Amino acid sequence: MNEFPLLLISFIIYLLVMLTGFASFFGSKTKWTRISYWLAMAGLIVQLASLLVRTIVSGHAPFTNMYESINFLSWSCALVVIIFQRTFKLEKAWPYLWLMIVALMALVSSPALPKNVTPLVPALQSYWLWLHVSVTLLGEAFLAVAFVASILYLTAGRDSAGKLESQKRQEKYDLIAYRAVAAGFPLFTLGALVFGMIWASRAWGRYWSWDPKEVWSLITWLFYALYLHTRLVMGWKGKRSALIAIIGFLAALFTFFGVNYLLSGLHSYA
Amino acid sequence: MIRFLSSIRLTIALLILIIILSVTGTLIPQGETPGFYQHYSPRWSGIILGLQFDHLYRSPLFLSLAFLFLLNILFCSSQKLPAKFKQIRGQIEFNPVEGRAGSDKKFITGFSNWLWLEPDSLVAGLKQKHYRVKIEEASGQKTLLAQKGQLGLFGPEIVHLALVIIIIGGLISALFSQRLTLALSEGQTADLPGKNFSVKLDRFATDYYPDGSVKSWQSLVSIIEQGQIKKQKTVEVNRPLKYDGLNFFQMSYGFDWDQAQVELEIKGTDLAASNLTLRVGEKVQMGPGLTLSLITFIPDFEIDEEGQPASRSAEANNPAALVQVTREGQPVYRGWLFYYQPDLNRVQSQPDFNLEISLKKFEAPVFSGLEAAGDPGMNFVWSGSILLFLGLLACFYTSYRQLAIRVQPAGKPVLVARCRHNQAAFYRELEELLGQRPADRINSARKK
Ligand code: HEM
Repeated sequence: MNEFPLLLISFIIYLLVMLTGFASFFGSKTKWTRISYWLAMAGLIVQLASLLVRTIVSGHAPFTNMYESINFLSWSCALVVIIFQRTFKLEKAWPYLWLMIVALMALVSSPALPKNVTPLVPALQSYWLWLHVSVTLLGEAFLAVAFVASILYLTAGRDSAGKLESQKRQEKYDLIAYRAVAAGFPLFTLGALVFGMIWASRAWGRYWSWDPKEVWSLITWLFYALYLHTRLVMGWKGKRSALIAIIGFLAALFTFFGVNYLLSGLHSYA
Repeated sequence: MIRFLSSIRLTIALLILIIILSVTGTLIPQGETPGFYQHYSPRWSGIILGLQFDHLYRSPLFLSLAFLFLLNILFCSSQKLPAKFKQIRGQIEFNPVEGRAGSDKKFITGFSNWLWLEPDSLVAGLKQKHYRVKIEEASGQKTLLAQKGQLGLFGPEIVHLALVIIIIGGLISALFSQRLTLALSEGQTADLPGKNFSVKLDRFATDYYPDGSVKSWQSLVSIIEQGQIKKQKTVEVNRPLKYDGLNFFQMSYGFDWDQAQVELEIKGTDLAASNLTLRVGEKVQMGPGLTLSLITFIPDFEIDEEGQPASRSAEANNPAALVQVTREGQPVYRGWLFYYQPDLNRVQSQPDFNLEISLKKFEAPVFSGLEAAGDPGMNFVWSGSILLFLGLLACFYTSYRQLAIRVQPAGKPVLVARCRHNQAAFYRELEELLGQRPADRINSARKK
């Protein structure tokens, strides 16, 4: 058995989610939004099945290499976007968020990422692998939503729509970004920093080694601390907040991709 | 000074500086020798070494920023506390024009349209919405105080306190943590300095996956105190042994090449082919008057920069044995035997020495690399971490809401309402309770 066909099916479904989402800009808004939403649910379930199959086949957590981790990250993003749609109604942000997920899925299914199952090195054999990576990636999924909402905020100003309407839309994007950070920050703190420290102390004997991956997680975290404080205490909103959320997520991306490929350290697996 | 130390501008400056320094630390290789940096970047090496950026995260600059940050957190958190305690006890300013931009959204409004509403009539509705309600009457004025989610008001203080605890834990770790590497072969015992017990490795095993990669290392370790086994456990990666404040980790494994044992094949015209097994440092009788000794064994032979034989690594990539043969006490031959390139064994081409010696087998006892670590800062870090997460939940997932109404004999009743997050939802709740959406006066007050 192999999870890849299921993954491709979910990729195609997500593509349809995005297209129907964009269709709602032009056609009947309620109809297309409904279709898009239910497609998203279907895709989420199919991709979950792919994660389960991978777990069963490999016998370990479905995030021990790049391919598996991005698969899990894109599933988490899909989950978070659906939750946000249910709780706040994402409106115009919906298809753009799916654009990001589709991009991630394209990366997952690209042949550039090795997809074979490899046995786990001793350090990875721990239930902290489950807790550390899943909570971190779930947190990062929220931060990804804040990232897209912030980009939308910055571009929405130049919308052709009326001034009042585009201002209202911008406020919504700003709020979505804030809500996403408010959820993503505690999860990232718990998963990346706290669980990471606990695991490191068990596997390596020290909870913090200033390893590049650890430092970049800390940098990411500090950016979001900056986001929260400039917003809450200095009353920054809108453009400057959006910029910090964007840079913060770029730092998260660098932690995820850049550190593995460009810097060496203890975290050289995964 | 205190103003400076508790200012949020300092926080932002420090956050940015710490981010920049942290990034720098991931770009400059850490913990290398001065020579390395001169080679790495002749231009920057002076600055790198001058600022001690070869160990950036322990450099005076980084540590002083961290210390300043610690002070900043302490000062700014303690500054707001008295006001927050006052607020929660209900000591509220009922001054209708006061309105302040800040973390706790607050607005004040007159009761123009619903004067008929007695504070008492609100109590049931408030209680239904889980508010805690208190009514006080004094000198003709009546005050209602309703609030919920009080923990949420202190969320930031809990988070900041947790950070202080974690940073202090980190400092304690940096100053007082001890670690000791133990390389033990099976059966060996090591004493720990300053402790009254020793550690014995009873057994060591490596499990492999079918593809040959390592699945696990298992060290059966005993703690021995005054000749008695106090504790015995199989230590694996991710499964340390705890004893007396120390943790024993499986860190590495390797071969103890100084204890290597080799098998040599000896052929000679006047000797039948024979095999000899001996250890490093051992001397054996080869024939009448002939002795052979194994002087050293090198697993990965190379000639180093000084022209001396050395080992490139601890792996058996190019094993070589140095042997010496003596006849009647007189050395007749001394040379290296190579496992993979027997042609290079010079003994074969030795004139008037009719023996051929080659290295057939080698083995060395495996040792288990254990690390004993004691870190008194760890418990601070763990308690701080728990508190940090609880504080974050309090910040983002509880919402503090407060409603205070004062009815005075003369003048309009005054309402003060505050929340920390999600003002819109609070407005809706108030609208439900009061039947009217209060005018938001904070904005107008702010504009003045
Ligand atoms: C990396 C370190 C820090 C972290 C992670 C952190 C975290 C937080 C969080 C999560 C909140 C609540 C945010 C919200 O409710 O939206 C907060 C609020 C706040 N923080 Fe920090 N903080 C840090 C450092 C500091 C420092 C150094 C100061 C010192 C000036 C500071 C000042 C404040 C203030 C004034 C508030 C608002 C308090 C209130 O609403 O009553 N923070 N912080």
